[in-house]
Amino acid sequence: MIRRLGAGLAVLWAAATASYLALLLAPGDTVDVLVGEGPDTPQIRAAIVREWGLDRPGIVQYLAYLWRLLHGDLGRSYQSQRGVGEILATQVGPTVQLTLAAAAAGVTLAGLIAVVTAGRGRAARAAVSAAELVAVSVPPFLIGIVLLAVFSFTLGWFPVSGAAGPAALVLPALTLGLPIAGVLGQVLRGGLERALEQPFALTARARGLTERALVTRHALRHALIPAVTLAGWFTGSLLGGAVITEVLFGRPGLGRVAVDAVTGRDMPVVMAVVLLSACVYVVISTLLDLAYRAIDPQTRS
Amino acid sequence: MKRLIPALALALAACGAGPAAETAASTSLTWAIETQPITLNPQQWSQNKVRLLVFNQFDALLTRRADGSFGPWLARAWQVSDDGLTYTLHLRDDVTFHDGTRFDAASVKANLDQFLVPGYNPAVAAIQLKAYKEAKVVSPHTLEITLKEPDALFPDFLASPYAGQVSPASLKSARDLKFGGTELAGTGPFVLDRYVPGQELHYRRNPAYRWPPDGAAHQGPAHLSEITYRFLPEAAVRVGALTSGQVQVIEGVPATEAALIGKDPGLTLKTALNSGTSFSYYFNTSRAPFDDQRVREAFREAVDVDAVLRSVYRGTATRAWSVVAASGPFYDPSLENAYGGAVAKANALLDAAGWRQRDAEGYRVKDGRRLTVRSVTAAPYVRDRRDVLAQAVQAQVKQNAGIDFQVRIVDPGTAQEALDANEYEIFENSRGDSDAGAALNLLLPGEGALNRTRFSDPRVERWLAEAGAESGQARRKELYARVQRAVVRERALVFPIYVPADQIAARKSVHGLGFDPASGTPAGAYDVRIGT
Repeated sequence: MIRRLGAGLAVLWAAATASYLALLLAPGDTVDVLVGEGPDTPQIRAAIVREWGLDRPGIVQYLAYLWRLLHGDLGRSYQSQRGVGEILATQVGPTVQLTLAAAAAGVTLAGLIAVVTAGRGRAARAAVSAAELVAVSVPPFLIGIVLLAVFSFTLGWFPVSGAAGPAALVLPALTLGLPIAGVLGQVLRGGLERALEQPFALTARARGLTERALVTRHALRHALIPAVTLAGWFTGSLLGGAVITEVLFGRPGLGRVAVDAVTGRDMPVVMAVVLLSACVYVVISTLLDLAYRAIDPQTRS
Repeated sequence: MKRLIPALALALAACGAGPAAETAASTSLTWAIETQPITLNPQQWSQNKVRLLVFNQFDALLTRRADGSFGPWLARAWQVSDDGLTYTLHLRDDVTFHDGTRFDAASVKANLDQFLVPGYNPAVAAIQLKAYKEAKVVSPHTLEITLKEPDALFPDFLASPYAGQVSPASLKSARDLKFGGTELAGTGPFVLDRYVPGQELHYRRNPAYRWPPDGAAHQGPAHLSEITYRFLPEAAVRVGALTSGQVQVIEGVPATEAALIGKDPGLTLKTALNSGTSFSYYFNTSRAPFDDQRVREAFREAVDVDAVLRSVYRGTATRAWSVVAASGPFYDPSLENAYGGAVAKANALLDAAGWRQRDAEGYRVKDGRRLTVRSVTAAPYVRDRRDVLAQAVQAQVKQNAGIDFQVRIVDPGTAQEALDANEYEIFENSRGDSDAGAALNLLLPGEGALNRTRFSDPRVERWLAEAGAESGQARRKELYARVQRAVVRERALVFPIYVPADQIAARKSVHGLGFDPASGTPAGAYDVRIGT
């Protein structure tokens, strides 16, 4: 457990340092960012450098950053002139809501479709496969705008915007969840069908188990291992997809904060978002390890 | 591809959505806007797109009219001394801030002096307030402001968001002063009571409001009891939200959607030209090939601007002829049709400049070098389909004159590096300053903070300096007309393309929507009401 904690901290430090270096090496400097599109004179530049302590060497700024980080101080945003912790605090909630809802929608859809269609007639499989392919290959932006046009603008079932109430969460969650359902559904069905060809399936059928019971009680467990591995992938895709979804639906959230920060080279915010996502990955991969043990008794040694 | 999608969405939306039932006598309104404010402190304001929010919460000292003159607001009268160095403001004595404190000469002085705090707003301190020396409280409601030198733009400052009056108590107590938000108390017709970043702003009416600017359509408190501004950055989503009745007003209607709004009998669409400067290409004269005036002229002659604007903006854009936007009082109409669009002339000029040979791809060549010009633009500042516009210009100069126009859209850091390293030939810019002179002061003098032509003309500098110190409107207009003729016609430093505009679309039941005469951007919600 201690080793795991240490590894997690090392990942966090590496993520912070790598993103710090990447931003340092990227073209342009922080003063340009702070000057922005506005007037640019030596006096204005000097004032900005003084205000933010940008005249110190890079290594000093980096160490000062790590030191503050150890004290739980994420710094101040260059762009919005507010504390980074405060910005993230207001934006984490909506993103967590969105990603959990999207993950739930994706996993549920994938599970349902895979269980219902595995080992069924060719026509049904082909139709579902095609739908999955569409969900995976169409850009989320298009999925979102079509969902909006049909279910919000035309039918008026769901409001277009805001994080207000569960109704406003449905379309964004579907936008983000459909591609996940597509990939996961394919993997899950493939796994199920392979499992159904195994000798144990034959035995179970011989015991008189119905096909449905065989799929849900026995084959599903085998099919879950590759699908669970994919959960790591879709955590990343959720964070990335959140950007598009949040902008499209006018939702608050981390995705937008991250994009604005990267384009504006708002170093303190970028670093905080990177650290947060690294944290999420560490937690998820730990949970996945535990999940493997629960699903597959062979790994419990 | 991305352009097709909004049209698709609208086509789908138009099939089923009837105008939603509107509740009679409702006095709350939802307005979808494109851009999220970086800051809600008026004295830190930097985005013209969110100017419509500033004057809901705050009032300035003066108001600027469409003809460039000034009217009373929180200052009911003012005098300027003959030497232009002393401004005496006579303030209203019936104004209170949202936090209950009184507005008086001492609070105006506190707001002015706030800019002297190092790091508070270095840009405003160095530009708009460069002449500010001190403010003296003469009586509770009389303030005397002394300048170091005459500054014709000082009244423009007094009418700008920067002069939005903040309660001195909240200037001291606000935790996030530079960000503003609900903690800053203004005197405006609405009180900001909720801000959800990424989602919305919510204002409620200030029932004590009795001090609208000169030119307001009514007196007393605002008509609306509350207003919500919702952030919807995607134009197609804004339009869909409007057509389906989920919001009553939107701003920012791109050309691709304007026709669909016009066809809906339940909606209205209003457009106004922005103040400031036109969207223009500025030629870098410090390096080849634009160090040669003939090449600069040839570039302009090679483009059929009307055809380009028709294809990119479907006839909704207004062609620019001068660097100064056609909406402002200083615009010089004598430049109209004075240049441009003569392809034969473009080719003759390039031949004369020595660019005679052509290479295998049809581009002109001189001494083995291709006639290449580059523009480098930071992606976050690309708006109004200016990327598509650049491609249309690129196609025209290639086809008509064999010029290789390379368009790069990059991250802000790379763009800044290219500008610093002088690795560009064309600089794209438009500015929304309420006084065009303020923009010209940045763009044209040799030491100007945004001078990307790297050209300096002593005559232009002299005229700009004189206009900057001159308070007579007619004389300023004459001087700025000279400046425009010099940089557009005589020197061909600038290629004006179109005048930026703003649009408001709304349900028919919403009245009193309009544009801020100073900026040409959507006005605040003070006069807005919901009728039948």
